[in-house]
Amino acid sequence: MAGYLLRRFWHMVLTLFAMATLMFFLFRLLPGDPTATVISPSLYPKAQEAMRQQFGLDRPLFEQYLLYLRNLLVLDFGFSFQTNRPVFEMIQGRLLNTLLLILPSMFAAYLLGAVIGAIAAWKRGSAGEVGLVFTATALQSAPLFWLGMLAILLFSIKLDLFPIGHIVTPGLFPEQDWRMYLSADFLHHLALPFLVNTLYQLCFPLLLMRSTMLSTIGEDYIELARMKGLSERRVLFGHAARNALLPLATTLPMILGWAVAGSVVIETVFSWPGLGLLMVEAISRADYPVAQAAFLLIAVLTVFGTFIADLLCGLLDPRIVYA
Amino acid sequence: MLPSDTHPLLSITGLAVSYGTPRGPASAIADLSLEIGKGENLGLIGESGCGKSTLLKAVMGVMPDNARIAAGRIAFQGRDLVAADAGFRRSVRWAGISMVTQSALNALNPVLRVGDQIAEAIRAHRDVSRAEAWRRTEALLTMVGVAPERARDYPHQFSGGMRQRAIIAMALALDPPLVLADEPTTALDVVVQDQIFQSLRALQQRLGFSLLLVTHDLALVIENCERVAVMYAGMIVETGPTRDVIRRPTHPYTLGLKNALPRLGSRDEPIAIPGGPPDLTDPPPGCRFAARCPFALPLCRTEPPALTTVAPGRQARCHRAAEIDALAPLAALPQTWDALRDAPR
Repeated sequence: MAGYLLRRFWHMVLTLFAMATLMFFLFRLLPGDPTATVISPSLYPKAQEAMRQQFGLDRPLFEQYLLYLRNLLVLDFGFSFQTNRPVFEMIQGRLLNTLLLILPSMFAAYLLGAVIGAIAAWKRGSAGEVGLVFTATALQSAPLFWLGMLAILLFSIKLDLFPIGHIVTPGLFPEQDWRMYLSADFLHHLALPFLVNTLYQLCFPLLLMRSTMLSTIGEDYIELARMKGLSERRVLFGHAARNALLPLATTLPMILGWAVAGSVVIETVFSWPGLGLLMVEAISRADYPVAQAAFLLIAVLTVFGTFIADLLCGLLDPRIVYA
Repeated sequence: MLPSDTHPLLSITGLAVSYGTPRGPASAIADLSLEIGKGENLGLIGESGCGKSTLLKAVMGVMPDNARIAAGRIAFQGRDLVAADAGFRRSVRWAGISMVTQSALNALNPVLRVGDQIAEAIRAHRDVSRAEAWRRTEALLTMVGVAPERARDYPHQFSGGMRQRAIIAMALALDPPLVLADEPTTALDVVVQDQIFQSLRALQQRLGFSLLLVTHDLALVIENCERVAVMYAGMIVETGPTRDVIRRPTHPYTLGLKNALPRLGSRDEPIAIPGGPPDLTDPPPGCRFAARCPFALPLCRTEPPALTTVAPGRQARCHRAAEIDALAPLAALPQTWDALRDAPR
């Protein structure tokens, strides 16, 4: 087990190294001069040259790359072109906002999806099940931004139940510290994006759980469990659902990746100041250090999610042995 | 004396089960009657698809959604299970009638410990603590010849024989008066098969349960059951003491089965019964075996024979049961069956 963890960790490091390298060269391949936003072409050529030297842009590309890797190791992502603040500092708070929205929402989506999917399989053929599958398929195919806009239109504008965006009422918490996250105002702002994201993300685990359950229900051990005189609930959740969870666990990293990527959409629609929105802002303002760091962070989260899912699989299926 | 003691342990009368299919209902079991007494071993034999498994499912009350009991009763200790409410049915499952299933590999849930799967059966019926159920589980495994510490293992860590033993331990967990065994050893090699049956018989001596052994292996029935019922296309065609039925069958189908059994020291090739079972969505109006029977008369194709007593304790469902002594020597000849093969109708 320790050996497996070590090897798995090493793989993670390699993957992230490859990601970082790709990111570095991709940004250098972008058309135009990204430094133009900071080093204004209207400056004297001498001044421009001096600034290039200061940023290390006069050195060979490979040397720049090594410098970039060294800085990554000490979590130094450089300074934002736009605000001149350290990128690391800017990202920290944004990451927390994203995780506060995405993680509970994914947790709820997976939990509800598994339970509802299991019950749907049990009630196969009933009118309720047919309606549920239709709705889930439709929801899953709908664009997330459109769902978000509809939700804002209905719940925020028509019914006036929720604010139309932002993390708290502007001006209420000038310090933006931990008190903000514990306030009712924060929860009130969190509710609608949370619900929309959960509803959207719920469809995949629900449909997957239902279809795996359907094949599990036909297994001999389900019939035996029933013959043992176990209650239907016990047969459903203790035996059938327990087995159907396995494919769900393997898809978790994929879904986490989608969710983080999806945070770009949901955060933009709800003006949620998270990592996704930061990324959009950074790209539209050509703030490359920030965009680069945000991309990298999303990669880290996805790789880490895959790792967690691997461990989860071994926990759920005794046939998997880490060697 | 309890009133239930005056009844046979399990008594099935006039049972009919049909499956809903796209082509109409298929009559999987028709007019089936069986009786098993206390401590008795009954072998139920028949080819694949003859309704053996359907019968077991009907008795256990776990029939698929498209199956329906059209007629008859299944009385356990005198109480009808067909008409019983769900609560009573559930209490009879496992505590009254348990089952050793076919293919122990798929019958055990791969992600749960073997011991937990046995213990949960105990806890579903008895109000005992987890620790107590676990102790009982370990004792059961010891009883069937599996080391008790293996209770913590998962099914994939068990060999095929051990899995089957675990299933037997599970079946005996609540000391049921009746155990159904559905092809319990088909997936195992002959040596293990023999070991399993030896311990099953030893356990039966000790615990006194009755056994309904369902199989397509005539040899197993001969070795293990004092009475046998032969099933064909959803009906019992012959029943009686195993020795008598094998020595002197009174139904052409049983004669055919006996022919298909390879005999040690005999140079004769086993003879197969030509053809296949009838389409049960449209069963023939007369005898269900008539199309494959070398002795079928015109009467057999129009008039269904009834199960009649041919000798004390023996019944057969054949219009020509009385002439069987004259027909049996013919049935031992390959050309009798070949004639059918050459002229299929």
